[in-house]
Amino acid sequence: MLARIAHDLYWLGRNLARAEFTARAVEAVFQAEVQGTSDAMPSVSFGSSGLLAMLGDEGERERADNVDALARLTLDADRPGSMLASVERAREGARTVRDVISAEMWEAINTTTLSLRGGGQGGWAPNPRAPAGPYLAAQYVKQRTALIWGVAARTMLRDEAKCFLDAGGTIEVSDMVLRMLRIALPAGEHRAADGHALILLQAVGGFHAYLRAVTAPPNAHPVARFLLFERAYPDSVAACADSLHDAFTTADAGPRNSKPVLRVSRLVADLDFQRRALPDGAELSGICERTQQELARIDGDVAERYFAGATPGQERA
Amino acid sequence: MGVATDTIEVDYRPRAPFRDELYELDGTPRLAAQALIAELGRLGPEGLVDAGRRRDAIFMQQGITFETSGESGSSHERPFPLDLVPRVLTGQEWRAIKRGLAQRIRALNHFVDDIYHAREIVREGLVPWRLVAGCPHFARAVHGIRPPGGVYCHVAGCDLVRDSDGSWRVIEDNVRIPSGISYVLENRAAMARLVPELFASYRVRPVDHYPQLLLRALRSVAPSAESEATVVVWTPGPANSAYFEHAFLARQMGVELVEASDLVVRDDVLYMRTTRGLERVHAVYRRLDDDFVDPLEFMSDSLLGVPGLVRAYRAGSVAIANAFGTGVADDKAIYCFVPEMIRFYLAEEPILENVNTYLLSDREVREHVLDRLGELVVKPTGESGGKGVMIGPHASDQEVARMGERIKAHPERWIAQDVVCLSTAPTVSSDGTLRPCHVDLRPFAVFGESIEIVPGGLTRVALEDGSMIVNSSRGGGSKDTWVLEDGDDADRAGPPIADTQPPALPDLRYGAWMGQQQQQQQQEPQQQQSKGSARVGRKRI
Repeated sequence: MLARIAHDLYWLGRNLARAEFTARAVEAVFQAEVQGTSDAMPSVSFGSSGLLAMLGDEGERERADNVDALARLTLDADRPGSMLASVERAREGARTVRDVISAEMWEAINTTTLSLRGGGQGGWAPNPRAPAGPYLAAQYVKQRTALIWGVAARTMLRDEAKCFLDAGGTIEVSDMVLRMLRIALPAGEHRAADGHALILLQAVGGFHAYLRAVTAPPNAHPVARFLLFERAYPDSVAACADSLHDAFTTADAGPRNSKPVLRVSRLVADLDFQRRALPDGAELSGICERTQQELARIDGDVAERYFAGATPGQERA
Repeated sequence: MGVATDTIEVDYRPRAPFRDELYELDGTPRLAAQALIAELGRLGPEGLVDAGRRRDAIFMQQGITFETSGESGSSHERPFPLDLVPRVLTGQEWRAIKRGLAQRIRALNHFVDDIYHAREIVREGLVPWRLVAGCPHFARAVHGIRPPGGVYCHVAGCDLVRDSDGSWRVIEDNVRIPSGISYVLENRAAMARLVPELFASYRVRPVDHYPQLLLRALRSVAPSAESEATVVVWTPGPANSAYFEHAFLARQMGVELVEASDLVVRDDVLYMRTTRGLERVHAVYRRLDDDFVDPLEFMSDSLLGVPGLVRAYRAGSVAIANAFGTGVADDKAIYCFVPEMIRFYLAEEPILENVNTYLLSDREVREHVLDRLGELVVKPTGESGGKGVMIGPHASDQEVARMGERIKAHPERWIAQDVVCLSTAPTVSSDGTLRPCHVDLRPFAVFGESIEIVPGGLTRVALEDGSMIVNSSRGGGSKDTWVLEDGDDADRAGPPIADTQPPALPDLRYGAWMGQQQQQQQQEPQQQQSKGSARVGRKRI
C-alpha cells in the first residue's frame, strides 16, 4: 500500500486514541478536582496542571481556574491538546484515506467531529458552555471513539491498512499511559507514592479491570505495576507492546530483519523481564522514562521503514 | 469564603420554628452556606430545572433507579430522587457527630458481645432480660460465639435528626444491614457532574473511598493466616430492592457477588462454587436478614440460606459481617437503653442524645402515653423503613383512636416518642424555586481494626410539604451531604493535592506527511521538520 496512506492511517489511529484518553483524563480530573482531599487516604497528585502537562500545554499554564482549563482541553480547537483538536485531526486524516476505510467508519468519524464542533446538535450537549460541558463532552467522545473502533473492527479487512490503524492506536495509548504515570509518580517523591491512585485508574478507564485483577488496594505502586505490566489489561503498556508487535509483524514484508519489529520485540521481552525481576514497591519512574524513549525510537523507525522516510511524528518547536 | 458582589437574591424563607440547615431563622444564609447560596442564585430556577432534567437522564442511563408502584398497582422505574441543593456540615459539626457515633457504635458492639456471653448488663439490672429475649432478632443460635477481633457491628448506620435548638439526636440505630451508602457515592458523583459550580468555593471531603474502607475492614476480620482473604458480598438476589447497592459494592470492592446457590459448607468451612472447583471464602458481607441465612439454625423454610453456615461461623472458619444476632442491638425497645450502655461499658457520658422514648410495656407509662397519644410518634418495634409509624400531630382522631386500641392489645410491639422538630433544608421544587423540606442524616461507619466513618452520609429529605417521613419507600428523596475541610482537622491524613512540578515530558507529536514532491522542493528539509505541527498537516488539504 502507499506509504502516505499507511502514514495517514497510523496517525488516524493515534489521534483517535489521543482524543479518547484526553476525554478519560479530563473526566477523572474534573471529578477529583471538585472535591477536597480524603481524610482517610492521601492520593497521588494529578490535578489539572498535571493534565495540562500531560497534553503538552505546559507552556500555557497561566493559573487558570480548573473549569477554564478543562473547557480548553475539551473544546478549544485552537489548542492542539484539546479533545476537539484531536478529533479534527482524525477527521482530516480520515478524509485522505476515505477510499481505504469503510464508508461507515468515515461517517462515524465525521458525525463525531461535526457534533462536537457544533456544540452538540443532535449530539452530546444542549450548550457547550453549560457547566456539565466537560463531563458530557468527555462521555460523548469516549462513546464515539469506542463506536469508531468497533466499526473499524467489523467493517475493515484485516490487512496492512488495519494493522497501521491499530498500531497507531496502541502506540498512542501506551504513550498516554506512560505520560500519566510519569506525572503522577515522579522520581524520588515518596509522599505521593504511598497514596491511592484511583484517579489514574479512572483516567485510563481501568478501575474495574484493576479491581478484578489485583487484590491489593489501589495504591500508587500496584496501580503503576498494573498499568505497566498487566498483559491481560488491553491498555497496559505491556499489552500495547504485544499488539504493536503483532501489527508490525503482519504488516511488514520482511519482519525478521525489520528494525521496528525487532525493537518492539525487545521492548516486549524487557517489560516481561522487569515484571518478573522487579521486587514489589521498587521505583518505577525509571522504567516509565526509558520505555517512553524507546517508543519514540520505534516511532522514528516506523517512519523510516514504512512511511518512505517521511518525517517521523514531529515535535513542536 | 467571600460572596461575589453580583449575588442574585434567592427567594427562600425558612419555616419557623424549625431550624434550617443553610439559613439562619432571620432568613440570612449561614456563614458556611453563603457561597453556596450565591451560586444557587446565579444558577437561578431555570438552571436548576435544567440540571434536574440532565440528572434524570443520567440516572436513567446509568440505571440508578428505584421502583415505585402507582395507584393502579403497576410499577414504574423512576430515577433516584436526588435534590440538587447539598446539605453543608462544617468540620466542627462533623467532628462532634463522628465522636458521638463512634462512641455509640462501640457501646452497641459491647452490648451484643455481652448479651451473647456474660449478660452483665442484665445482671446489673440495667436492661430487662424479657426485652432482650422478646426481641424478634435475638438469636439463641449464636450464644457464646465471639467473632475475630470481637467485632459484631462491622457496618453501622445511625439515623440522626437535628432539633430546633441545633442539637443532634439519634432516632434509630441500624446495625443489621443498613443500606444507602451506594447513593451517597452516586449522589456525589452526580453532583460533581451536574452542578460543579456549587463546589467552587469549597473543599468538600470526598466519600469515594468507602468501598476500600469496607474491604479493608472485612479483610482485617477474616480468619485467613496464610493468604489474601477471599471476601464476598452475599445478596438475596436481583429481585431485592437494594440489589443495585449489593452489585455496586461488589463491583467497587472487586469481589464476587454471590447468591445462596453459589455457597456451600463442607466440614465447617464455607466455599463458593467456581469454574475451578470449590474456593474457600473467608469473609462474607451479607445483605440478608438472620432469619434467612441458615435453614438449619434459623427459619427452616428459607430458600435463600446456606445450610451449615452458622456451624462454620461457630467453628471460626468464616467471618460474617454483620455478625448474626446483632439485630438485638437496634431493636426499637432496646434503643432506650443505649445511653445506659455507653455509661456502663465505656464509663463515658453519651455525646449524642436519644429522643425521649416511652416503653409501653410498663403500665404507668402506657397510661400516660395513651392520654397524650395525639402529641407523640408511635413506632412498631420490629419494623424498619418507616412502616407502620403514626405521627400523632398529623394523624386524624380516628387513626389515633385505632392506634390506642392496638397498643392496648400488644403494648410490647410499640414504642412512643416525643415529636422531634426535624430541621429543614432548601429543596428544589419542580419549578426550580426553593422550599424548606425536613431532613435527617444517616452516616455510615465501618468497624474493622478501628471505627471509620465516611464524611457526611445520606441526607434523606421528605419531599412532600410538611411531611417528616424521609424513607425513600414513602416518597423521600436524598441530598448530597458535604463535610467541609476547615484546615485544623486532626484526623486528616495527607496534605491536599499539591501542585508539584511535573517532570519534563517529551512534547506531543503530530503526524504530518511530507509528500516526495514537496520534500524535493524543500531546500532544507531539516528546517521544515522543526516547524511541523498540526497546522502543517491541515494546510495540505
